[in-house]
Amino acid sequence: MVYLNNAATTWPKPDCVLKALNDAAAGLPQGQFRGTGSSIDVFAELKKELAALFHTSDPARFVMTSGATDSLNYLIRGLGIPADEYCITATEHNSVLRPLYNIPGIAVDPGPVVVPCDRHGIVDPDLMEKSLRAGTKVILLNHCSNVTGAVQNAKAVGEIARRHGLIFLLDTSQSAGCLPVDIDGWGVDGLVFTGHKSLLGVQGTGGFYAGARLHLAPVRFGGTGRNSRQITYDFQDPADIEYETGTQNGPGAAALLAGVRWILEKSVEKIAGEEHAKMTALIDFLENLPGITVFGADAKNHGPVLSFRADRFSPSDLSYILQNSYGIVTRTGLHCAPLIHRFIGSDPGGTVRISVSPFTTEEDILSFEEAMREIMS
Amino acid sequence: MVSFMSIRYLRTEESRERCAESGWYAFDLILSEGMDDDFIRSLRQVGGSFLYLPQLKQPFFKIESDYYMLKGVRGNDFFRMAVHGEHTDEVRRVEQMLRQNENGD
Repeated sequence: MVYLNNAATTWPKPDCVLKALNDAAAGLPQGQFRGTGSSIDVFAELKKELAALFHTSDPARFVMTSGATDSLNYLIRGLGIPADEYCITATEHNSVLRPLYNIPGIAVDPGPVVVPCDRHGIVDPDLMEKSLRAGTKVILLNHCSNVTGAVQNAKAVGEIARRHGLIFLLDTSQSAGCLPVDIDGWGVDGLVFTGHKSLLGVQGTGGFYAGARLHLAPVRFGGTGRNSRQITYDFQDPADIEYETGTQNGPGAAALLAGVRWILEKSVEKIAGEEHAKMTALIDFLENLPGITVFGADAKNHGPVLSFRADRFSPSDLSYILQNSYGIVTRTGLHCAPLIHRFIGSDPGGTVRISVSPFTTEEDILSFEEAMREIMS
Repeated sequence: MVSFMSIRYLRTEESRERCAESGWYAFDLILSEGMDDDFIRSLRQVGGSFLYLPQLKQPFFKIESDYYMLKGVRGNDFFRMAVHGEHTDEVRRVEQMLRQNENGD
């Protein structure tokens, strides 16, 4: 089996991640309160490493959740800002679109400003700045497209947000762990990440960073393991608010901690360079294969994802053939990002998507190329 | 009518890859053993355009009409059927056809 669907979830995981997951699940829960099966404070260690990875100074501003979708719902609900005061891009995932268009009190006509992208998935920051409405309060940017791999200029968008006094939220679901992310350097107020993609953790992990400018009301209440006599909160006092309620995913956090440490040890820059080389090989191959259209090939700073279509097959059929005839796992369809396809020219059927990880081998790529040559012959 | 006693229809399952057939309802029809060329050809009775790619490592077939689609790979013990929402009865029709073929009806 050749796995080229790492943008959905990375596989395989490093041995250290699997060991940490197993050890945490198998270990005796520590302490008399809400301990996980670990002798260290996994969550505190994890937040320290996340702060190092994302370049920010305060680990306490990280909140762990079940993933990026949970985080985005939390941020959007917690901010309580109506959708028509948001500026988003055509590359956003349904984890952004559906909260903005469905949460009662948030989903307000005419909805957010949606800044178009070009045919590679790149959003022009100047166009974004010109598109802002007078009442815009938030810019929410997808850092790396999960369809084309296009990487947006988050630093430039952060500068726009500062110039206009806007909140800047950055969705790093596809970039965290495989591309440099700089919270403090880019002026990011809120950052969303998931654990099971390039951070190499397991499903059901992730979180968000809430900077000092973010006034976030809690949207979920319950046990937190401290001050159990307190039943009500003072919403005006940020220090009084607790965001991580209910029993937390300790084994998942332990696995994520191991994944983040693996990345920090290797370095994001090195991972990005290696994955870029793999993607360049795939792009070069597909662009020279007759009957194939590649989406995102010319995008600068390409992430570890690309999409393509074949003139003789629907994306669904091609992905089916790759999986069932050749044992190559890809993904097909709209990839939960419905808007981008209007701009890159892949409506209505979407694309076949391939995506690599640090564990994608040269043999994997050669197997894919051989299969595609045979299918298209 | 040709009998295909050796390959029996077992059951129908909702496809795990529902997203793959966006806007359609996808089902996997599970068989007792891998499909051969005769079985694949027998599926043409369902009706619709027939595509067969024998040059692939494991040949691929697809039968398509306006409101349903069957596709699969030779050697696999299942094929996929996707139907538009209002035509789920077509799945029952194909199941019935497979049972009749088993019995040589």
